[in-house]
Amino acid sequence: MDCLSLIREFLQDRLGLVPERITEASTLASLGVDSLMQLELVFEFEDRLGISLPPDTRLPKTVGELLRLVEHHTQATRP
Amino acid sequence: MSERRVVISGLGLVSPFGGGLDDFFARMLAGESAIRYYQTDDIPRPLAIPAVVCDQFDADAELGRPQAGTMDRFAQLGAAAASRAWQDAGLTAADSGTRPDAGVSWGTALGGTLAYEKGYKELWQKGRERVSPLSVVLGMNNAAASHIAIRHQLAGPCISYTVACSSSTIAIGEAFRRIRCGDASLMLAGGSDAPLAYGVVRAWEALRVLAPGDAASAPRACRPFSSERAGLVLGEGGAALVLEERQHALDRGARIYAELAGYGCNCDHTHLVRPEAAGQARALELALAEAGLQPDEIDYINAHGTATREGDPTEVAALQQVFGPHAAQLAVSATKSMHGHLMGATGAIEALITTLAIAQAALPPTAGLEHVDSDCAGVRHLHQAQRGTPVRAALSSSFAFGGSNAVLAFRRHD
Repeated sequence: MDCLSLIREFLQDRLGLVPERITEASTLASLGVDSLMQLELVFEFEDRLGISLPPDTRLPKTVGELLRLVEHHTQATRP
Repeated sequence: MSERRVVISGLGLVSPFGGGLDDFFARMLAGESAIRYYQTDDIPRPLAIPAVVCDQFDADAELGRPQAGTMDRFAQLGAAAASRAWQDAGLTAADSGTRPDAGVSWGTALGGTLAYEKGYKELWQKGRERVSPLSVVLGMNNAAASHIAIRHQLAGPCISYTVACSSSTIAIGEAFRRIRCGDASLMLAGGSDAPLAYGVVRAWEALRVLAPGDAASAPRACRPFSSERAGLVLGEGGAALVLEERQHALDRGARIYAELAGYGCNCDHTHLVRPEAAGQARALELALAEAGLQPDEIDYINAHGTATREGDPTEVAALQQVFGPHAAQLAVSATKSMHGHLMGATGAIEALITTLAIAQAALPPTAGLEHVDSDCAGVRHLHQAQRGTPVRAALSSSFAFGGSNAVLAFRRHD
């Protein structure tokens, strides 16, 4: 599953959002993602993709920024 | 300045029967038990006990999925009960909104124990190295109180009490004090607990105080004051009262169920689990004194009555000490025989029942009480509902492990 689909699945489950509403330009705040839920999202990514984001990672503002952050760490942890 | 009086203007609960307030109280009057045979698929040994479960409660539907997802079940039950009480009091969204004169006082014995247990399973059963990032906010004991304050934007005191089985009686009593002393004009008070976690049930089993039962006998497993009593029945739930300064309630034209007139709170200071009649009697006297009530003005007592061998006779002995000759006429029932022991929420659901008993002049029975134990005789046990006789005043008692006693005194509001 690609990262955008993973975000969509998570937010559909937690917030009942329509997946198509979630685009790269969406701000996390506008979708109803607060700081606690951002932690949940990061946790989900780390679990599902086998990556590890450093504790001091600055959390992104948009879905696109989140995707790039995760993709960066996914590539960094590939053998 | 005359003393500030406190009235009850709203009631709410998550009923184990699945219906609303009227349905719940009608079933209490009918002596209907919500106790069922509860079985799980836990490993290594599934649970199979009589218990009370609110299985028709849909937290997502009632609270909204985003909010429900950030709550342990005890907080979900609490938030729902509090919202129902808020609505029952005729309060609307317009009554919410950064009110420094309104607060929350909540009782829970176990807090987010299900969230913690889930975390332990992840770590020790599944061998994972970490738990959900929500574990702290799901598990913390003040989560229910905070969610309630946030939902209704109540900016006054937001306090949680964890005092075992007296938790929500104390929460209601302390809220009463907050209003009396002028700190608040309105308090959402009550309690919630979800004690059917695997480890919690096993812990209660180890104390040898859980009533046995199977699918057929479970509804009558909890038999307070009976010679056949064999222990308590765990249950989950939440109940809430809207407490309001009397003039505040009158000014907004609120319906008033009853007056909360007194509160007694003390400690046996003798033993962690062995109850003492002298300590309980003192708590009863404190509540009567604060309410300015004489013993013969009390028409009903909703007893703590857990159906343990030692607890029930001790409570009756305390009643006899305080009520003397009036004890024989004193109508007493233990509604745990029907709704189970909700741990930290039990005082709240029993306060709700006592309030309705006054408002409707109808007293619920102790279900399944066929043979009163000779150790528990001396008061007028209600085998059936009593209807139509005005109830001038009533008490609701909670006597917790740790020796923490709490009694609320209610009076009819005319």
